Amino acid sequence: MRRALPRIVTRAAALWLPLAILFVLILGPLTITLVISFWEKVGFSMRPGFTVDNYVTFFSGVRLQVLGRSLWVAFSSTLLMLVIAYPIAWLIATRVRPALVRPLLFLFAGPFLVNYVVRTFGWSELLSRNGPVNSTLVRIGLADAPLDWLLYSDFAVYLGLVTAYMPFMVFPIWLSLSGIDRRLTEASWMLGEGPVSTFVRVVFPLSLPGVFAAAIFGFVGAFGEVAVSLILGGTGYQLLGNAIQSALNVLHYPLAAAISSVSTLLMLAFLVLWSRFFDIRLFLGKILGR
Amino acid sequence: MTLSRIGTAVAWAFVAVVMLFLYAPLVPPVIRSFAGAGGDAGLFVNYAAIIDDQRLMRAARLTVVVGFLVAVITPVLGLLAAEMVRVLRIPRLIVGVVLVPLFVPGISMGLATGLFFQSLGIAPSVLTITAVQVLWALPFAFLIILTVMASFDPVYREAAYMSGATRLQAFFEVEVPHIRQGLLGAAIFSLILSFNETIRTSVVQGGRNTVQTYLWAQYQQVGLSPNLFALMTVLIVATLLLIAVLAVLDARARPE
Repeated sequence: MRRALPRIVTRAAALWLPLAILFVLILGPLTITLVISFWEKVGFSMRPGFTVDNYVTFFSGVRLQVLGRSLWVAFSSTLLMLVIAYPIAWLIATRVRPALVRPLLFLFAGPFLVNYVVRTFGWSELLSRNGPVNSTLVRIGLADAPLDWLLYSDFAVYLGLVTAYMPFMVFPIWLSLSGIDRRLTEASWMLGEGPVSTFVRVVFPLSLPGVFAAAIFGFVGAFGEVAVSLILGGTGYQLLGNAIQSALNVLHYPLAAAISSVSTLLMLAFLVLWSRFFDIRLFLGKILGR
Repeated sequence: MTLSRIGTAVAWAFVAVVMLFLYAPLVPPVIRSFAGAGGDAGLFVNYAAIIDDQRLMRAARLTVVVGFLVAVITPVLGLLAAEMVRVLRIPRLIVGVVLVPLFVPGISMGLATGLFFQSLGIAPSVLTITAVQVLWALPFAFLIILTVMASFDPVYREAAYMSGATRLQAFFEVEVPHIRQGLLGAAIFSLILSFNETIRTSVVQGGRNTVQTYLWAQYQQVGLSPNLFALMTVLIVATLLLIAVLAVLDARARPE
């Protein structure tokens, strides 16, 4: 009995302490940011206090437009990413020989894993006024003069966002598609449904957990984007990430914290909604093995 | 029959076009890195210039050190979190919290971690850079390790217990060797993600620079030069090589 107690204590410590540290490391920064967002800015420093000034500054004036634009750009580009990623995930999950599945997934992972700022520089080279795309278009006669809207435009930003975040979205969608029990689709065929209605009424609904996980990932990326909007949108093209960056550049930490907290809370709200609608185990069931 | 064949062709053409769009931006940096090369100066003049540039070499060293630390620390934390998912009765909470950094915008996470360290009185250092990158890589490493762990049959652990092994012995001597491939995969993946990271790092780095944040700062201040394109090419090649290693490891782990 004497030795039992310390053992229980050490066991609890060994299990719970590392977990507690991990939780503090992940949630602590987000909490502190929320706290600091209510602090006052004093000169180039900040002072503890409770003021909603930073939120007022954020929600009034030009930054509100940035928020609106970020929401719209993130929403529409995510939709675009899904339209591209879903068919690819579906092809890989259903139309590819098992031996080729993983090489194909690696081919998609490749570009996602190359530093995305570098990839974005690559796009700005390709799309520039004298770049290869414009000179090819002029040479083969598709355009009379170099196109102006290729770079520093919505087009360029969407292209940059889609190629930056879409490759990764293939994975969760593929994961939930390949986890679908084949007997369900076979049952649907046997009950007389055609391939299209089987897809619409059986396969697609069952793949929704993966679709939403992918959508949240793409949305978060586009919403808080800094590099793509700066490099491909040009000066003046601001997404919420750029608004945070410019608050940081003038050392206005409480304002940066306020904008940051709004975006983080918005994303976490999506995440909570997602886990309300879908059991996380439905999605990670194969991984968690239960 | 022919209709479905056309459908298949269209589908694969679509995949090919998407691939083209994904890989196209990797080409210009490589081409631009050879600007002014050739002749007396040699083909790799811009690459040689990197080695002569003290600031760049410092940044390169920091990138390697941080990458190494991230590759070592992340799988250990991922393994720990994955083990907690199984042992403790709160798997959903653990999965949810560990995946949070995946769903917080990069600059917000960078700022938050920066403020966190600042309020604890920890000055920007190699460790703060490492911490922010570990938090970014952890969700991915965690998912990889969970996947591999799911393929480990708990019967082996039971057998170890019956042979008189303690919990720790069973874990380190039976389970860990079994999932070694997954841990190695998570380590390489973490290294790749460390190479991928720019924005979070730029917020917490203080006066230092990694290669990635150096590129980013140079772009904003003076624009890009052939040396910087050479640097990007090195990054691209290193990343693709690591992915190839990962693919080979993965193919070996699944002999079927």
